[in-house]
Order: sequence, then structure tokens, then C-alpha cells
Amino acid sequence: MADAPVLEVRGIKVGYGPIKAIRDCSLDVAAGETVAVVGANGAGKTTLLRAISRMLPLEAGEIRFAGQSVAGRRTHLLARDGLLHVPEGRGVMPNLSVWENIRISWEVRPTEIAFEAALQRVFERFPRLAERRMQRAGTLSGGEQQMLALARAIANPPRLLLLDEPSLGLSPIMIAEAYKALRQFQADGMTILLVEQNVHAALRFAQRAYILKQGEIVAQGTGEGLLADPDMLKHYLGSK
Amino acid sequence: MLAEQIVNGLVLGSMYALIALGYTLVFGVLDKLNFAHGDIFMFGGFVGVSVLALGAPLWAGAVAAFVACGVLGLLVELVSFRKFRSHDAQVTAALSSLACSIILIDATQKVWGTEPVALTLATAIRTASITVEGLRVAWVNIGILALTLLLMAALYVLIVRTRMGRNIRAVADSAVAAELLGIDVTRVTQQTFFLASGLAGLAGVMLAVRTGFVTTELGLTFGIKALAVMAIGGMGDLRGAVVGGLLAGLVEAMATQLGLGKFGDMAVWLLMILVLLVRPAGLFGGLRKETRA
Ligand SMILES: Nc1ncnc2c1ncn2[C@@H]1O[C@H](COP(=O)(O)OP(=O)(O)O)[C@@H](O)[C@H]1O
Ligand SMILES: [Mg+2]
Repeated sequence: MADAPVLEVRGIKVGYGPIKAIRDCSLDVAAGETVAVVGANGAGKTTLLRAISRMLPLEAGEIRFAGQSVAGRRTHLLARDGLLHVPEGRGVMPNLSVWENIRISWEVRPTEIAFEAALQRVFERFPRLAERRMQRAGTLSGGEQQMLALARAIANPPRLLLLDEPSLGLSPIMIAEAYKALRQFQADGMTILLVEQNVHAALRFAQRAYILKQGEIVAQGTGEGLLADPDMLKHYLGSK
Repeated sequence: MLAEQIVNGLVLGSMYALIALGYTLVFGVLDKLNFAHGDIFMFGGFVGVSVLALGAPLWAGAVAAFVACGVLGLLVELVSFRKFRSHDAQVTAALSSLACSIILIDATQKVWGTEPVALTLATAIRTASITVEGLRVAWVNIGILALTLLLMAALYVLIVRTRMGRNIRAVADSAVAAELLGIDVTRVTQQTFFLASGLAGLAGVMLAVRTGFVTTELGLTFGIKALAVMAIGGMGDLRGAVVGGLLAGLVEAMATQLGLGKFGDMAVWLLMILVLLVRPAGLFGGLRKETRA
């Protein structure tokens, strides 16, 4: 486990034409670690995750996943190698049933877990999904859709889970529930990189965190350490 | 006779449905219209007629048309859709596929000429019929109905029950999310094009067997009606394509029954305008609204 980090991001620049969304960003995620990147709206969090899963090309720098550069690798192949990116908006398939959503996330990557066992693990964690297994995912509530998005990581555990704002659009109760599920992932030893605008939820959860401001990493530390310095948070993140 | 026209309408409609299923499959996955589809159907008829002219059995002509049109569909996907993935490229892809369709018509004319090409199949096969309760039904019609029914059932099972179908529906829901899960969106798109185009090719052979000849105009006169059928049923909805196809066939046959034969070709388009005025998303449309990514 003490070998290369699961994810290494080295001095990357990413843009949309003239817009430089990520100017300079470096970070690491070690195996079994949970890391957060927090930043205000528009800081570049989504762009960072898109670059990691190769939905966007790099203008400079390097990204290594499981010791290998992601340059030239295609998004779906990275996913099959164990990079599970749950995008902004959760990316559940609304016209597929709950069962089919789980089935797809299980079968797309090779795994040793039998499907029935995977399904059972999902339903143990999220009993509500069991009740709704034949329902179209689009008919679920936001919180239930978030569970379904997280169920992917249970059905077929990834080497690295990327989460884009798991608390977005959820009620405070549902946010608490989502983070409860994430803490269980943490206890299972899953490697997670999540990006959040919800600074407090993210910093309380993550072991380490980075602060992203206008495309640059401006501070880093332990989750608790950053939380203990409200003045600095205010300085980098605006309000709160 | 009314009953006879109903049978005619159903047979016609089942062929419309088969072509419309292809339009709608591709639209479901890409949110784009493949304007080459109607002429891929036309080309299927020519492939079938040519293979039968070599003395091959009917089933071989059908298989050849399915495969040839499937491959043609892959080619259209490669040149007219692969590069134009984004939503903004809708018009570009549509125009490019229209160009494919016109080139296909022209190439077919270069090879087979502009005159209708007759089918070489024992006349007895084409005209044999049975009489049930005073209603004379050609075996060809029964065969077409039975085969389309079988194909639709097979397509249903494929789309709803298999991994390939699940992947097709996942990409239709959200290509980005599907790719992030590990689905090869390009491959799923190719599978969709092959399937859609192959089915159109089979419809081309069916029509050739029914009418006894093929012409290069069939894409523009017959194939394109399936576009209206898709709109009637609801873009991207498979049930809509089937129901819309049968409905369009019946309406066209009824126009003939009522002595409005001259308006037969117009009937489908009038039906489309009427349906869209009442239900802009088509009969089964609107269900996939929230899927737009
Ligand atoms: N598709 C895009 N085209 C152009 N600019 C974009 C696009 N997506 C994001 N941006 C810009 O890039 C910057 C970072 O956006 P994003 O990564 O979405 O931020 P965050 O996820 O932190 O809110 C913003 O200034 C945003 O306007
Ligand atoms: Mg974002």
C-alpha cells in the first residue's frame, strides 16, 4: 500500500478555449484515503474531475491513475480500470429501472462479486432502493437518486471514486444521509476524491482537503485543520 | 372490400414500423436524425433482388440485405455522425447524412439503372393465397406480417432484456454518464446503426417481394414516410414507431378504400400534422423529456 498514490495530479492546466478553468493544480490521493477539494461555484471543481476522467484534455501537466499516465486513455477504459466518476447531477439513467442501473454498474467492469451478492450488498446499505427496484430511476426523489449513484460503488467497488458535489440539490436531511453512506465507504477503506461547495460537510468528512480558488490550489491541510481556521476559509471561499 | 384493405393497411404499416424503428433507435441514442435511413431501406430492396437473381433462396436475399445495409449503416455512422457528437452539431450531422442518402441513390442508379428492376421469384410464390371466411389473403402478406411481428418481438427482447439493449438505453438516457460508467459509447452507437439499418434492409426486401420490383425512388416515396411515422409515435419511442406505423398503414389503406386513392401518399403526412398539432411530442412522446442531458 505504501507504493505510488492511486491518483497524482501534477501542475495541470485545463481550459475551454480561451477560458482557463484550471490554471495550476496538483494533488495526491493515496490508497484508502478520502480527500476533498472545496471551492466556490465556478472555482473549477467539475473541470478538475472531468480532466481526471479524460473527458477534457490537459493543456499542461500530468495526471497519473494507479501509477499510469491517463494521457491518451479513453474515458470508458479508465472507468473499466476502476476509476468511477459520479458526475454533477449524479448520472443515473432515468429511463432504466433501479435494478438495471445497479446491473449496469456491476457488469461494465470485471468483478469477482456475483451479481446477486452485489445486489444484496446494495440493498443492505440502501433498503429504500430494494423497495423501488423495478421503478424507473427518474421517478425517484433526489435523495434516492443519490443513493442509486452511490450504489454503483457498492455493486462493484472502484479503485478510486470521484464524486462531484454529492450534496448538491439535497435537503439537509438527505445531505446527512449521503455523508453517512460515504462514511461507511470510508470505513470500508474505499479511496475517494470528492469536490464540494458544501465546505463544512466535505471538510468534516475528508481526511485531507485542498482549497481551489479560480482554478488554483491555494491551501491544503487536514479536514479538521482547515475547519479550525474559519478566517482562512472565509478568505478563500467568500462567505461562511 | 374493407377487410382486405385492413390487411393491406396492416402489411403496409408493419413495413413502415420496421423502418421507423430504425429512425427512432438512432434518434434515441444520438438525438439526431439519420436522413440516409430511407435510402438504406431502398438499397436493401436492390440487394435482395440481386441476390435472388443469382438463384439464391429468399432467406439468403433477406440475410444479405440485412448485412449489407447494416454495414452501410456503419459507414454512415462513421462519416456523418462520429465526429458530430455534440448537441450543436445536429444540423451538421443531418445534412451530412442527407448527402449520404443522395450519393446512395445516385450510386444505385449507376449500378442498376434508373428503370425499375423486377424481382425474379416464381410468380406462384408471390401470388399464392388462401381464402379464410371469404377473405382472400396472399401468403406474401401473411409472411410479411409474421416476420415483422417476429422481428419486433426479437427487438423488444434485445432492447429490454439483454446487456446490449441495456447499454443502448443507457446511452440514449445520457451518453456522458454511460461513458463514465465504462460503456463504450462508440461501439453502442455502431450496434444501434447496424441494427437499425439492417431492419430497414429487411423491410426493403419485404416490399420488393410484395410489389415484385424495386426502384431507386423508394427511399423518397416510401422510406421517408417512416420519418412521419416516428414523429406520429413519438421521437425515440419504440412502441410509438410500431403503433404509428400500423396507424399510418391503416389510414393509407382506408384512404384507398374510401376512393381517395390519389390522396393515399398524402395521408401519412396529413396524419402527422394532425397528431403533432394535438400532441407535439407524438403519441408516446414526452416520456423521455427529463433525459436530455
Ligand atoms: N463547457 C464549458 N465551456 C466554457 N466554460 C466552462 C464550461 N464549463 C465550465 N466553464 C467555466 O469554467 C470555470 C470552472 O467551472 P466548473 O469547473 O464547472 O466550476 P465548479 O464545478 O467549481 O463550479 C467557470 O468559470 C465556468 O464558467
Ligand atoms: Mg461543478
